[in-house]
Amino acid sequence: MEQQEEVPPPPAGLGLTAEEYAQVRATVEAHHRYAVGPGQCSSLLAQRIHAPPAAVWAVVRRFDCPQVYKHFIRSCVLRPDPHHDDNGNDLRPGRLREVSVISGLPASTSTERLDLLDDAHRVFGFTITGGEHRLRNYRSVTTVSQLDEICTLVLESYIVDVPDGNTEDDTRLFADTVIRLNLQKLKSVSEANANAAAAAAAPPPPPPAAAE
Amino acid sequence: MAEICCEEAMSPPATATAAVAAAVSASAAAAVSSAIDRRRRRMEMRRIRIASDLELQAGEDGRPGKRQRLARTASGAPRPDEDSASERPSCGRTEEFPRYGVTAVCGRRREMEDAVSIRPDFLPASGKFHFYGVFDGHGCSHVATTCQDRMHEIVAEEHNKGASGEVAPWRDVMEKSFARMDGEVGNRASTRSDDEPACPCEQQTPSRRDHAGSTAVVAVVSPTQVVVANAGDSRAVISRAGVPVALSVDHKPDRPDELERIEAAGGRVIYWDGARVLGVLAMSRAIGDGYLKPYVTSEPEVTVTERTDDDECLILASDGLWDVVTNEMACEVVRACFHNNGPPAPAARPSGVPSSAEAAETENGGAASVKGISKAESSDKACSDAAMLLTKLALARRSADNVSVVVVDLRRGL
Repeated sequence: MEQQEEVPPPPAGLGLTAEEYAQVRATVEAHHRYAVGPGQCSSLLAQRIHAPPAAVWAVVRRFDCPQVYKHFIRSCVLRPDPHHDDNGNDLRPGRLREVSVISGLPASTSTERLDLLDDAHRVFGFTITGGEHRLRNYRSVTTVSQLDEICTLVLESYIVDVPDGNTEDDTRLFADTVIRLNLQKLKSVSEANANAAAAAAAPPPPPPAAAE
Repeated sequence: MAEICCEEAMSPPATATAAVAAAVSASAAAAVSSAIDRRRRRMEMRRIRIASDLELQAGEDGRPGKRQRLARTASGAPRPDEDSASERPSCGRTEEFPRYGVTAVCGRRREMEDAVSIRPDFLPASGKFHFYGVFDGHGCSHVATTCQDRMHEIVAEEHNKGASGEVAPWRDVMEKSFARMDGEVGNRASTRSDDEPACPCEQQTPSRRDHAGSTAVVAVVSPTQVVVANAGDSRAVISRAGVPVALSVDHKPDRPDELERIEAAGGRVIYWDGARVLGVLAMSRAIGDGYLKPYVTSEPEVTVTERTDDDECLILASDGLWDVVTNEMACEVVRACFHNNGPPAPAARPSGVPSSAEAAETENGGAASVKGISKAESSDKACSDAAMLLTKLALARRSADNVSVVVVDLRRGL
């Protein structure tokens, strides 16, 4: 009998069981690996969501409306696409959005480009190309994977430059804090949407039998 | 270039210029200062004047008679008996109406998120207790405006909870009040009644508003004491015989004891555009900010200060002022305005709200950044001039934030 291949343990700090990681390992290898050079750092975070993958993906893919599941956004405006005037709302790689950030944070604006929008495989990616903040060359990928019929695993990873005067740990702490908060909000929003959809889909109660 | 958002700055009152001149005179008359201190003070005052002149585009004060009078007052020369008689109201009467001035301007921020609350005689059964609060919001304005509306009510309730005849200690009153205020802010999403308008940030995702918060620096002034409770990086300062006395210490995340507390709770402070809790928030205490608890707590630091005859004024302000103006300079500006306006009018009631408060209200599209002032309440020209001048100084020094200033006259029996 052929020897069973050993299952690699999930990365530390991700919070996944070995079985869960085995299910998404191919996704991690395909979309969440980065060539990290000197002066850069990278991180991967996971969030379990008790909702169908389709419900979660419907929220994640809204490049035009990130405030639905991201904290700290004051407003977001898609830049007009001069090459496709006919369909200004079409989400396509290359589209840019201008994000305005709420006050009190170490950022005020962020210009972001849509890199990946794969509805078949539920892969979403963007790059920060400008704005007033300290996250230079920030590139991120979010994937939505099915764990079972009503449980979804969202993975979000990024690579970014470490700013002068800060350490890799500093940079990872800041970025991970924001992403973790966003993933928690994504969980709340997706589960609320799924519950609402389930309630709407429930069949109406049978009419009471008329006693004559 | 960001436009300075302050209508009042475009048409400065004449007395503001005179106040600056008075500042120079007062500084020159400080005989007890050492030569070095005198030189430093003159340099500081010259900068005030240059900055203010640039801002106000005003010429030099051309009234030698007035300058002479100010010089005499500043030097502390004794006044003729007739002046003394007409200008020395009874102590009781000066306490009947609080004398204060207030400004709240947007400055270089995109939105106004500061709020100020002035509540004279806010303890009905006790009398002569006046509430002043400055709340500098971040993330959104709803936490600051909720504090503006409710903090004085909560403090009054906690104060009156003592057993009949027994007054609760102010420290307990303030600590419980801040905890209740923080709880109300955190619960507001679920308890908001249908007729209350939804806050814009709530429309994005209902019932999730953890990312907004506010500083709170609160002062209760009685005939005998000044009680200050502070959470965040707004500040309260008293001027006592010309010397600033800080009644609060800013809650910055890298303050050694705050850093220690945060790390003991499992948090971290990193320098990301300044020291920030988890790299996100630039203060270590605030009302709200549920997502950063327990690292960012709403527990206030409370001081109870006995009033003395040397007390001149109390200044409450947001960090939009304190980031660019030292305690010393702020106190000197107020002293100069007091000298310029002479002694407070005995028991006189000004007929209306000072122009600075009106400007503050008008400037923010009708939304009241300052609450508690009504037409019937007294205010004070010297205090209003001082508050406005401090605000203009902060804007001239390119403060990057909303600026809110409250100046309270603490002088007795002049």
